[in-house]
Amino acid sequence: MDSENIRSIKELPSEENMQPGTAACAGCGGLLTLRYCLKALGENIVIVNAAGCFTLLTIYPFSPFRNSWLYTAMACAPAGAQGVRDALDILIKKGKLDPEENLKVVVLAGDGSAYDMALSSTSGAIYRNLDFYYICYDNEAYGNTGFQHSGASPFGSRTGTTPPGEKVPVGSQLQKKNLFDIWNSHKPPYLATVSPAYPVDLMNKFKKAEQFKGPKLFISHIPCPPGWGFDPSQSVKLAKLSVETGLWPLKESIHGEVEHTFVPKKFKPVEDYLKKQERFSHLFKPERQEEALKSIQEMVDDYWRKNKLLP
Amino acid sequence: MLRLRFHGRGGQGAKVASRVLGSAAFLDGYNAQDFPLYGAERRGAPITAFTRISRDDILERGLVSQPDVVVVMDETLLSDPQSTPLSGLKKGGVVFVNTPLTPLETKEEYGIEDHVITLDITKISLDMIGKPVLSSLAAAVAAKVAGIGEKALRDALEKELSGIISERELLDRNTEAAIYCYNAVVPISIETTEKFREKENVISIPFETALVSSPSILSKGNTPLRRTGNWRIFRPVWDYDACTKCMTCVARCPEGCIQLNEDGYPYTDYANCKGCLICAEECPVGAISKVRESHSQTEEEDQ
Ligand SMILES: Cc1ncc(C[n+]2csc(CCOP(=O)(O)OP(=O)(O)O)c2C)c(N)n1
Ligand code: SF4
Ligand code: SF4
Ligand code: SF4
Repeated sequence: MDSENIRSIKELPSEENMQPGTAACAGCGGLLTLRYCLKALGENIVIVNAAGCFTLLTIYPFSPFRNSWLYTAMACAPAGAQGVRDALDILIKKGKLDPEENLKVVVLAGDGSAYDMALSSTSGAIYRNLDFYYICYDNEAYGNTGFQHSGASPFGSRTGTTPPGEKVPVGSQLQKKNLFDIWNSHKPPYLATVSPAYPVDLMNKFKKAEQFKGPKLFISHIPCPPGWGFDPSQSVKLAKLSVETGLWPLKESIHGEVEHTFVPKKFKPVEDYLKKQERFSHLFKPERQEEALKSIQEMVDDYWRKNKLLP
Repeated sequence: MLRLRFHGRGGQGAKVASRVLGSAAFLDGYNAQDFPLYGAERRGAPITAFTRISRDDILERGLVSQPDVVVVMDETLLSDPQSTPLSGLKKGGVVFVNTPLTPLETKEEYGIEDHVITLDITKISLDMIGKPVLSSLAAAVAAKVAGIGEKALRDALEKELSGIISERELLDRNTEAAIYCYNAVVPISIETTEKFREKENVISIPFETALVSSPSILSKGNTPLRRTGNWRIFRPVWDYDACTKCMTCVARCPEGCIQLNEDGYPYTDYANCKGCLICAEECPVGAISKVRESHSQTEEEDQ
C-alpha cells in the first residue's frame, strides 16, 4: 500500500483479502471493519485470532482469508503473536526465510478478550515492544457465547448477564473500561480508535501506523445486530451515530500523544443512538429512566469538555 | 411417543418453537422434552431443535435422529448439506415446509416421498407481525400436527413469550399469527412404522496420518463455496437508471460481495449476499430496492 492518504471511499484499495461466505451474522459491523483492515494490511500477514465470533469465520475446511491464520484461547493471542514473530525473525536470521517473504503479525480479538481476559498478555506484548498489529472489534459484550457482560459493556445496557429487573432497572451498573487510555499509558508507537462507518479515516490510520515498528493498536466500535438488537440494515447508521453523538471519539496516539481525527461539528444527543437498540429499550419503556439517560449524556459531555473540544 | 425435529436458521426461532411446543404438550397433559442444538455458528446458520411428546414417561435422551415429524422453517435448508432435515425421517412421517409452494410442488422440487404440509409462514409473519420471526408460527403448525389443543397452545405462547417479548401488543400479534397458522393446517394422522430408512447420514472416516487428518486449511479464501446467499429473506435489487456509480454500496457491504460490471455498475453475488440490506440503506439516491426473496428463483435469473 502506498503511503499517500486517501480522501474518499472511491479510493479504497479494490483487492478483497476477506472472502464472503462466512458464518458471521448478516450486517455484522465487525466483519465490515475486518474487511477494511485486511484491505489496508494486504495479503502478507498472519492473523492470530483469540476465541470469539471471528474464530468462526474459519470453519474447517473453509477459510475466508487469503492469508495465514492461527487460533488461540481468549487470553493468549498476544503471546501467540510473540511466538509467530519470534519464529519469523529466527527463520530470517538463519537464512531459511527470504526477508522479502516476511509477514506482518496481526492479533484479532473481541472485547471480552482485549478488555478482560487477555489484558495482561497484551500489556506484556506492548511492554516488550512486540512488532505487531492488534485489532480489537468491540461489540461491548461476549458476543459469541450469548452476549454476556464484558469490561467493554456500557453503563445502562442489557446484556445476557445484566438483564434489567425490578432491583436494578438500569441493566449494567458498571462503566465501560477505557482501553484506549490503558493501552496509551504504555506509550505504544501507534494507537487508534476506528469505526466501520469511517473507512477513509480507518484506512489512513493503518497507512500511518505502517511506518512504526512495535505495537500498532486499533480498537473498532462495532454494531452487532443480534446482541444490540437492531435491524442489520442499520449497522453503518449506528456506527456513524456512535461517533456523531460523541460516544466513540475517533482519535490516534503517537508515542502517547493523543489527537482527535474527527470532531463532530455539532454533537447529536446520545439518545438518538440509544433509542435505536433493544439493549437500551428499558431506559425508555415502560418509563423513561431520566437519571440514567442524563448520566450517560453527561459522561459523553465530560469527555469532550476535558479534551477542550466542548465549552 | 411422538418425536419432532425443527430445522431453522439462527435468529428464526427454532429453539423457541420447540420450547413452546413442549410447554403446550405439557399443558395438554402430556410429558414433554425440548432442547436445541447450536452449531459453532452465528445468526443465519442452520440450527436444530427437538421435542419429544408422550403419554408415558420419556426415558429417551439425546438428539432425535429418527423423527416422526420434521418442521422445516427455512426452505433453503432442504438442499443444505450442513442441515439435511429429512435424514432419518420415519416412513409415513410428516414434513412441514415453510414455502409458498404447494405440497405437491414441494414434493417434486425436493424429491420428498413422505406426507408434506406447506404454508408460507414467513409471509404470514411479515403481514401479521411485521417482522420475519417464526417461532410461534412454527410452534403452532407443529402443535396442530401433533394434535395439541388450541387452549394449551395459547397458554404456552403466553408463558414462553412473555419472558422474551416485553411489549404486550407484539406478544398479542405473535399469538394471533400463531393461531391463524394453527387453523390453516389441516389435521392429518401420522402413521409411522418403526421401520427406519437406511441410515443416509452416517459416514465412517478412515484413520489418516496427521498431515491428512489434522485441521489445517491449506486452501485460501474458499468460503464463497459455502453460499450464504440462502440466508436472505429480502434481496437487494439495483436500478441502474437511478445509480450514479458512487461506489457507496460497494464500500459498505460487510461481505464484500458487490462488484462492478463492465459498464461500472455495481451488482452483487447473490450466492453469498446475506441480505443485510446495508447497501440499500446507504445508497444516497435510493437506487437499491428490497425485494422479498423467492428461493425458487434460478441462478441464471440471478445474473
Ligand atoms: C480462556 C477462554 N475462556 C472461555 C472461552 C469460551 N469463549 C469462546 S468465545 C467467548 C466469547 C468471546 O467474547 P469476545 O472476546 O467479546 O468476542 P466476541 O464473541 O464478541 O466476538 C468465550 C467466553 C475460551 N475460548 N477461552
Ligand atoms: S454476534 Fe455480533 S459481533 Fe458476533 S458475528 Fe454476529 S453481529 Fe458480528
Ligand atoms: S444486502 Fe448486505 S450482503 Fe447483500 S449486497 Fe447488500 S450489503 Fe452486501
Ligand atoms: S450506492 Fe447507489 S448510487 Fe451508489 S453505486 Fe451503489 S447503487 Fe449506485
